[in-house]
Formats: sequence, C-alpha cells, structure tokens
Amino acid sequence: MAGIDLKKIQKSYPVEDRILPVLTEIDLHIPEKSITVILGKSGCGKTTLLRLISGLEQPDGGEIHFGFSHKTAYVFQEARLMPWLNVWNNVIFGLKKQEVDQTKIQNILDIVGLKGFEKVYPHQLSGGMQQRTAIARALAQEPSFILMDEPFAALDHITRQQMQKELQRLQESSGASILFVTHSIDEALLLGHKIIILENGRIKREFIPPEETKERDILSPAFITLKREILRELDL
Amino acid sequence: MKKIHTSLAPYLGILLLLGAWFLVCRLELFSAYVLPTPEKVFASFLDMLFSGELYTDVAVSLFRVLKGFLIAFLLAFGLGMLRFLLPASEKYYNLLVQFFRNVPPLSLIPLLILWCGIGEMTKTVIIILAAFFPMYLNIVKGFTGCDKKLLEVGDVFGCSPFRKFTSIVLPYASADILVGMRIGMGYSWRAIIGAEMIAASSGIGHMILFAQEMSRTDKVIVGIFVIGIVGLITDKLFGMALHRLFKGNGEHGWN
Repeated sequence: MAGIDLKKIQKSYPVEDRILPVLTEIDLHIPEKSITVILGKSGCGKTTLLRLISGLEQPDGGEIHFGFSHKTAYVFQEARLMPWLNVWNNVIFGLKKQEVDQTKIQNILDIVGLKGFEKVYPHQLSGGMQQRTAIARALAQEPSFILMDEPFAALDHITRQQMQKELQRLQESSGASILFVTHSIDEALLLGHKIIILENGRIKREFIPPEETKERDILSPAFITLKREILRELDL
Repeated sequence: MKKIHTSLAPYLGILLLLGAWFLVCRLELFSAYVLPTPEKVFASFLDMLFSGELYTDVAVSLFRVLKGFLIAFLLAFGLGMLRFLLPASEKYYNLLVQFFRNVPPLSLIPLLILWCGIGEMTKTVIIILAAFFPMYLNIVKGFTGCDKKLLEVGDVFGCSPFRKFTSIVLPYASADILVGMRIGMGYSWRAIIGAEMIAASSGIGHMILFAQEMSRTDKVIVGIFVIGIVGLITDKLFGMALHRLFKGNGEHGWN
C-alpha cells in the first residue's frame, strides 16, 4: 500500500555541551488514506517526528519517502493564529484569492462550531475556539495529508468527542491521510487505523486495531484487550 | 468636577508655564530683550501669521522634513527588508550602519556644505541621517523579532519567502515600524532646525537665527512655539494612525 516510508531516521539536538538524541533508527510506514496515530508520553519525540515528516526540520540521518503526491496541512500543538487577522481571514490564510470558496469555508466553520465568529479576533476567543480555528485553517487547504500534533488537547471533553467524530467523517469522505499525535490512549483507540507506540525516540510497537464496519466501541472486549496491551507497553 | 479635571489636566503644565512667564515679566526680573512679555510674543505671532512669513517658513521646513523623512523611511525599510530576506547580507553592512549611527548628523554639516553646497541637498541629507537610524533599528527589531512559530505556519502552507514577508512579518512588525516612524519624525524636526540655522535662507530654523541677529527675542520664541506645535500635530497624526491600525487588537497591538 502506498504511503510515507521513513528509513533509519535519526535526529538529535545539541543541548549545552552534549548531544541529546531525540529519535533513533525510526523505520516506519504510514499508510495512505487512513489515520495513523503516534502514541507516547511527553518528551518521547512525537513532535519532532511530525516536524521531520512535514519538512520543517531535516533529519540528521535516514530518509523520508512520500509514495503519493500530497498537499500537506499541519495543526500545531498551539493554535498559532495570526493575531491581526479575524477568524475568517485566519481560516483562509495560505489560500490564494481565487481558491477561496465562500460556501466551503462556511461549511468548515460550521463543522468546527465557529459559525457566527467570522469577524472575531483570536484574542477574543477561548483557547479551545482558537484551536478549532487552527483546525479549520488546516481543513480549508483541502489537504491530502494532515499532520496533527495533539490538536484536541485544549478542547473540553464534549467538543473533543465531537471533533474526533468529525475528523473520522472527514477522513472517510475526503480519503485524506492523517498522522495524528496524541498522549491519550482512548483517542488513539477511537481514531487510529494504525497505532504506533513511541518511547524514548524509538518505535516500541505497532498495533492495528480490529476493523469495524460501524462506529467503533472502545468499550468492546476486543478494544479493552487492546487497551490493556497498550498500557502494558507504556509501562502504566 | 471630575470631567473638568480630566479635560484640563493635559493643559495644566502649559498654563503653569505661561503663568510663571507672565509673572516674571510683570515683576520685571529680566529686561524685555532677554525675556519678552507673552503679550509681545503673541502680537508678533499674529503679525507674522497675517503677513504670511510664518506660513512660508513653516511650509518650507515641513516640505524639507517630509522629503527627508520619506527618503529615510524608504532606505530604512529597504535595508530592513533585505536583512529579513537575506540575513547573510547583514554582516557586510552592519558595522558601517553602527558607525554612522554614532555620528551626530550635525557634525557632518561642514563637510556637506563643502560637498553639496548650501542648497536643498545638504538639508535633505542631514534629515535622512537623523531620521534613518531610529527607523532602521525599529524596523529591524520588528522584522527579526517576528514569532518563529507564526513563520512556521507560513512554511507548512508553502508560502514563498516574499509571501511570508508580506503576510506574516510585515503585519507583525507594523507596531514597531510605526513607533520607529514616530521617533524618526521627531528626529527629522530636530535636524532640520539645526540645518536651517547654518545653511538656509528660509524655514523656521533660519527664521529663528535671523530673529536672533535682529535682536527680536519675541520672534525667536514664536519660532520655538511653532516648532513645538507642528511637531505635536505630526506626532498626534502618527498616534492616530497607530490607534486606527490596531483597532480590534487590544491596546496598540499584540506584540
């Protein structure tokens, strides 16, 4: 299956007088048209891995190969909105004038629950709303590959559930490939077509959750077994 | 009562100064030549206003200031932009810029008169030298201080360096740019008066010097007031632009 292949990826950062390895020997296949979740404790190298794949940083060694043509969007851990632009202009940021389709953008704002907030500036929004604006900005690109770095961490439980459902729906309808970073096991179980456990800069294990025809029930016996296994891998 | 207080407060200092001036003149502590009375100064002001000489001098100085200021701004902006788009270029000119930053423009007047004569060129160059550095430093601060996290947003959306400059760096730096322009305008006024006192046949600086030579201290004081007032007005205009630009972004912007 086509996808993104990472071969022997190495990355380290100089910290004062020593070199701190962040990622070591990462071999990974990220399948196309599905949601791949990277799960791990904070500081395990999740964000660095995402930055390398997005091209924001270059690996010290190894190579990243894209097996499909891709238009990338990135949802950062923080919203990173332009403070001088209102919600609408933030969402269409990065689009060329002729690419702006009013109804499509309205629809996206509707999905993230920001209808009626078009003219509001970021500093007037709550943290969760800012993050939803950032998600809308990524979706407005109509990307074929979305990198998401704990995008729902700032959202409350109910909004988080809604957004998770929307993301699944969106992925199914658009066929986009999504690389999703989280430290929530439940979120990984709910979304992931493939779950990768990252620990101390190495891939510890990969899981493929059982295929389900209807909506996933993470309280079903199969998923509870999977969760136990993941917990064991994470030493929790 | 509180309303009267807040509306009068800004003028209290001026009123006190005028009162002291008036009192000192009444007590005849100094001769009228050293310190002319407020009435005399005001009469001279009206005289000069109606005869049109004041208007001409202000217009001439204002034109010079705007011309020098505009050229200085374009140079500062261009060099600041170069520094953002080609950071490696900085090391080639930074020392030179820092060197000239520490040279007072007025010290260059003898050379400038020698090279450029006593025409408009000398005055324009002096204003450019005075206004350039505060604007350049503020513009560079604005451009180079841009939040790297926002620049990364431009990177992931595939923006070109020029696009990143226009849609991220420039709006981010606009508060710094305007503050630089405001300071640069103040410096322009200071420099033009100095230049006009040495090499000019018109302008407010010349007017003050000529009044001194004619022993018209009242006219000197009129000149000082006019500079202050014109300076205040231009500064106020910048303040208004600043306020307008950042409406909806909290108090004078976000950075």
